[in-house]
Amino acid sequence: MIAQIGLSILLGAIAVYAWTESARAPAIGFVAMAFAAAGLYFVWLPAHATWLAALVGIGRGVDLILYVWVVISLLVLLNLHLKLRAQMELITALAREVAIANARPPADTQ
Amino acid sequence: MAPEQHRPVWIVVAAYNEATTVATVVADIVGRGYQVVVIDDGSNDGTGLKARTAGAHVVRHPFNLGQGAALQTGIRFALGKGAQSIVTFDADGQHSVDDIERLLEALHTRGADFALGSRFLGATVALPAARRLLLKAATVFTRLTTGLHVTDTHNGLRAMTRRGASRIALRQNRMAHASELLHQIARSGLGYAEVPVTIAYTRYSLAKGQRLGDSVRVLVDLSAQRLHR
Repeated sequence: MIAQIGLSILLGAIAVYAWTESARAPAIGFVAMAFAAAGLYFVWLPAHATWLAALVGIGRGVDLILYVWVVISLLVLLNLHLKLRAQMELITALAREVAIANARPPADTQ
Repeated sequence: MAPEQHRPVWIVVAAYNEATTVATVVADIVGRGYQVVVIDDGSNDGTGLKARTAGAHVVRHPFNLGQGAALQTGIRFALGKGAQSIVTFDADGQHSVDDIERLLEALHTRGADFALGSRFLGATVALPAARRLLLKAATVFTRLTTGLHVTDTHNGLRAMTRRGASRIALRQNRMAHASELLHQIARSGLGYAEVPVTIAYTRYSLAKGQRLGDSVRVLVDLSAQRLHR
């Protein structure tokens, strides 16, 4: 029960994080939310995880959960990468304004 | 010279550590009576000073951002200066100034807002087979993703009207800007024309050119952009 509560809090936090990110990166936000919701479901109904794992050919339910966890981690990593790209766009815009404001004419016209 | 309604013409040259060639390139362009802006993309070899001395306006990025970012800065600067036509031109000396007039003429006679240089309609001098193959593959990819019937997608020699340039907003700082620009042309719905141009490869320009690894990075950059707003 303790493990289930702990995992639920963690997965719940990831779902909230994914929801806050979905406005900026909809694809990643929604997929991460779906995986977090699936994780929550299987934490409380592990027998269903075992059934589903057997259905898709994984074998044990715990392995399925592990794979889902790996996918969530990779999505969070990808989201971090996209955030860095978005920040780079802001830095570029700032650098561009500074550069244009300090434009220099040809040397012989000064 | 370019027809009256297409003047003034500004030539945008993006340059990163091109001190070896930039002065000659600028002098050739200025000699034809065009205004030139060199975007010194954070060079540390005196590129900006050489460009200014040769007669160019110089806009210097505080640090290296990439060719796409430099071109967008140049387009913004030229539009701010009242350019009616803008031509993008490489700093490594592989483009010919004679082609500038051909591109501008195409804007006028073919009523297009973009005139795109094509080395495959024109000529190449000393283009290695591997580079040719890479360029052809990039062209097939871009034709499929943009629907534009172009023959050379990664040619830095192109001209645009003021209206066309106003529709370009490059977000890809590095080499993926060439594909992004074609996507934006396709989305703008404005007319485009291809113009045969000559690209002369030298040992210097080949050393600075793109490789297979760069094309993988371009694909990653283009994919990443589709995942966020």
